[in-house]
Amino acid sequence: MIAAHKLSVAIRSLRIRNLRAQWLWTLGLSVLFVLLPFVFRLDGRQHADWLQFLGRFHPSLVHLPIGMLVLLPFLEFGGTTRLGLREAAGFVLYLALATGVVTLVFGILLAYGSGVMGATVTRHMWGGIALLIELLVCVAARPAWISGQVQRVYPALLAASLLTLLWTGHQGGSLTYGSDYLTRFMPGPVKRFFPSASSASDAAYVGSVYMRSIHPILDAKCVVCHGASKEQGGLRLDFYDLLITGGKDGAVIAPRNPDHSLVLQRVTLSPTDKHFMPAEGRTPLTADEIAILRAWILADASPTATSIPGIATTAESTELPLQPVGDYSNLMNEIHQMQRSEGAKLVAVSATPSDGLILRTIDIASKFDDAELARFQRFAPFIVDAELGRTKVGDDCFDILSRFTNLRALHLEGTAVTGRALGKLSALSQLSYLNLSGTKVTSEALVPLKGMSNLRHVYLFDTPAQAASAATNSTLRSTQ
Amino acid sequence: MKQHPLCTDCEPPVTPLELPVPRAVKQEWAALETRRRFLGRSGKVLGWAALAGLFGDMGLRIYAEGADAKSPSPALNNALGLPHFAPKAKRAIYLFMSGGPPQMDLFDYKPNLAAQFNEDMPDSIRGNQQLTGMTSGQAHFPVAPSHWPFGQHGQTGTWVSSLLPYSARMVDDLTIIKTTNTDAINHEPAIMLMNTGNMNAGKPCLGAWLAYGLGSMNDNLPTFIVLQTKTNPKENNQPVSSRLWSSGFLSSEFAGVGLRSGADPVLYLADPAGVDHDVRRKMLDTVEEINRQTLAEVGDPETNARISQYEMAFRMQSSVPELIDLSKEPPSTWDLYGPEAKQPGTFAYNCLLARRMAERGVRFTQIYKRGWDVHDNVVGMLPVLCQETDHGAYALVTDLKRRGLLDDTLVIWAGEFGRTVYSQGGLSRDNYGRDHHPRCFTTWMAGGGVRPGITYGETDEYSYNVVKDPVHVRDFNATILHCLGIDHSKFSYKFQGLDQKLTTPVPANVVLGLLA
Repeated sequence: MIAAHKLSVAIRSLRIRNLRAQWLWTLGLSVLFVLLPFVFRLDGRQHADWLQFLGRFHPSLVHLPIGMLVLLPFLEFGGTTRLGLREAAGFVLYLALATGVVTLVFGILLAYGSGVMGATVTRHMWGGIALLIELLVCVAARPAWISGQVQRVYPALLAASLLTLLWTGHQGGSLTYGSDYLTRFMPGPVKRFFPSASSASDAAYVGSVYMRSIHPILDAKCVVCHGASKEQGGLRLDFYDLLITGGKDGAVIAPRNPDHSLVLQRVTLSPTDKHFMPAEGRTPLTADEIAILRAWILADASPTATSIPGIATTAESTELPLQPVGDYSNLMNEIHQMQRSEGAKLVAVSATPSDGLILRTIDIASKFDDAELARFQRFAPFIVDAELGRTKVGDDCFDILSRFTNLRALHLEGTAVTGRALGKLSALSQLSYLNLSGTKVTSEALVPLKGMSNLRHVYLFDTPAQAASAATNSTLRSTQ
Repeated sequence: MKQHPLCTDCEPPVTPLELPVPRAVKQEWAALETRRRFLGRSGKVLGWAALAGLFGDMGLRIYAEGADAKSPSPALNNALGLPHFAPKAKRAIYLFMSGGPPQMDLFDYKPNLAAQFNEDMPDSIRGNQQLTGMTSGQAHFPVAPSHWPFGQHGQTGTWVSSLLPYSARMVDDLTIIKTTNTDAINHEPAIMLMNTGNMNAGKPCLGAWLAYGLGSMNDNLPTFIVLQTKTNPKENNQPVSSRLWSSGFLSSEFAGVGLRSGADPVLYLADPAGVDHDVRRKMLDTVEEINRQTLAEVGDPETNARISQYEMAFRMQSSVPELIDLSKEPPSTWDLYGPEAKQPGTFAYNCLLARRMAERGVRFTQIYKRGWDVHDNVVGMLPVLCQETDHGAYALVTDLKRRGLLDDTLVIWAGEFGRTVYSQGGLSRDNYGRDHHPRCFTTWMAGGGVRPGITYGETDEYSYNVVKDPVHVRDFNATILHCLGIDHSKFSYKFQGLDQKLTTPVPANVVLGLLA
């Protein structure tokens, strides 16, 4: 309060003395604010504890200038009819500026002391600095507005300050509560306007042990603080390259040497240790997750390896990663109708729509023929599993099925197909499961399928092909 | 106050305010009963109800709930948003070995025990464990090595007892868990814990959870079917009651439908003489109408369950005869399952039915086999038990595999606990008994979602304590749910103020080492 008052007195006396001097002061202070981040360079390292101690008052202190700034336009508006309010507005502006300066300093102490960095931190900091500069200019421009010399500049500046405040406040909120705090429980229709940003620089590693086992662990347990929005210790764990690069304390992964890998050391400390990670009471890693991390590091921490020897959890999987089937939201009404109707159903594989649909015919298998199947053609690219076992489909079904481009599993057991047109399936690059048990398929009919590298599970129990393949020991007769 | 006519106790009734309760509490009661408070609360309740109704009816709720799942229209998934992720298994078959199979006589090979025959097991192994009343009085705990030789089988070289010649053939397809462990040492709590995740009755079992969460794949058969194997009176059969397949606090339509173990699995399935199918239909329609009136009046969800069960029973009139008609099974079936499978009620027959149910879209089938409670005469009874079950289990897994069903069917073989390495009662060269043992027992899984050909976990040299990789019942169940696309930690049902789960209250983990 006293500091604010002194400042206001100082600025007042300046105004009386010389307008130019006041603008010089404004400029000088602005430069000082801009230089602050260069003095306290955020390098991701932790600094003296007392800096952080003070800095931690930033989040509570920040509400003082916010409250006053929000109050300001009301005071100015009220001041058009009641002079007392106008006078108060001037005082509130000075006070907002003064508390703002203290807040800025504390904020920088917090970031500098705790070693936090990242895009959101930087944005929040520059937002705060910009806001203070705008306030300084407000202070300088207000006398001219009061005296009626310049009409529009001050209101415009004030509006700009409020917008800056909103943006900066949002950045700060994202730091504290996470960037999806506001959108997480937003109703679906509104949410569509806020596309969630996603990056894909790890796309090259799809299917690897890293993507299947390591990335999900880091994503769930570490990325809140070591990610794009908050780079605690200058460390980001959300992408492989950044994980390997490490943070300000150097590399956190020592390939083949789990005991010297900082990331493992930190998560295996005693939970009461001040260096224990995840910090601040977040959920620790489970024993299984630690074991997986250890095994992965021991096996050279490769981003591309698809198997880690000797470890059951990350052993080679013969399964393909699921390919997203694309967006079928515009067909939703029809799909719902199909679901409600008594006949065959389209069922979602999982809660994630892009996992695709299952075509389920079991309730009307005895009536489901090629014509029925044709009704599902318009959903073809979204169907990943066609359960046509014991239906009345015949060889014509392959014409239709060849358009099911994302089909992964095809059940034709106990149907009348002879396999005459089986070759049409070779267009289905995702197909990995084909059940022809109990059909009249011969081994000759299977020849066109030999080139399908993803087709690993072909079942020919109780078919003419079974006997033949048993004799020739064909590789196509596969089991697990 | 008026006395009830049947009440013979003629003392005047006591009002709550006359009870020996502190004055302050009574004042609190009195304060709760003021008219002002009642009216005030009623008003608020009405207001909130109206608001909830408005929001509910405007359909905002599903959008709000679905927003999390990034779903363009969450209503396509079932209302619960399940499965949480693309499942490996669409269905499961659970072979329940009630009574507690002795793990060291079947899968948990302990060759060093032979040298310790009749020596006392070191106290340090048992620690301060509280034993059952059946052996806690024993002065000695003599080590009883397995009576049967073990051999290595399959490409994995897994050790299996000679009692299980058929299971030995399929070890490469099995995921054997040697370190399953439970909290309970007696049958009823242990079997409840295994099935419902809680030792006390009243919680839904695994099958009911799956029926509730994943729903039916076939409108004409129940989602969850229980098959009981005919008991062998020579065996020590522990009771198996319907609360093991109860739906607990879930709607009763999710409870397991038990098929009888005799020739007639569902009684009164055929229409009675003189009543044709149309008359039956008419009757059911009328009953449904009455039930709907009751529902409108009372609003009890159980009425809904009743309506749907009547309809299910009607559809089962045609679907069950087809299900149990084995006449069209090819000869290869009988070659695989053996002639026993032709007798209704045997384990092999039930395994064959389980395969047929899997083909017909039954989500969860549980087969109970009782009699594993070998407190004495292990040498006499265990070969009988193995002979009864070994062939059927092997045939089921093999049959599913050759028909391409094992890819998306999870088969589970488990009892409620294991048995002690020390002999209960007298130990001789020819015979011994084994008491209940909760600290480790062997189970296996096969098929969709689990990694074939592995043995998971290690026990100590007495098969008494877990040395490495324990799998608690909760972890076991969490892993099963995972294979079916369910995140156990998110799969809950609000009841009595709690988010009730199959795997609570102690946190459970999916055992990643078991997964494919």
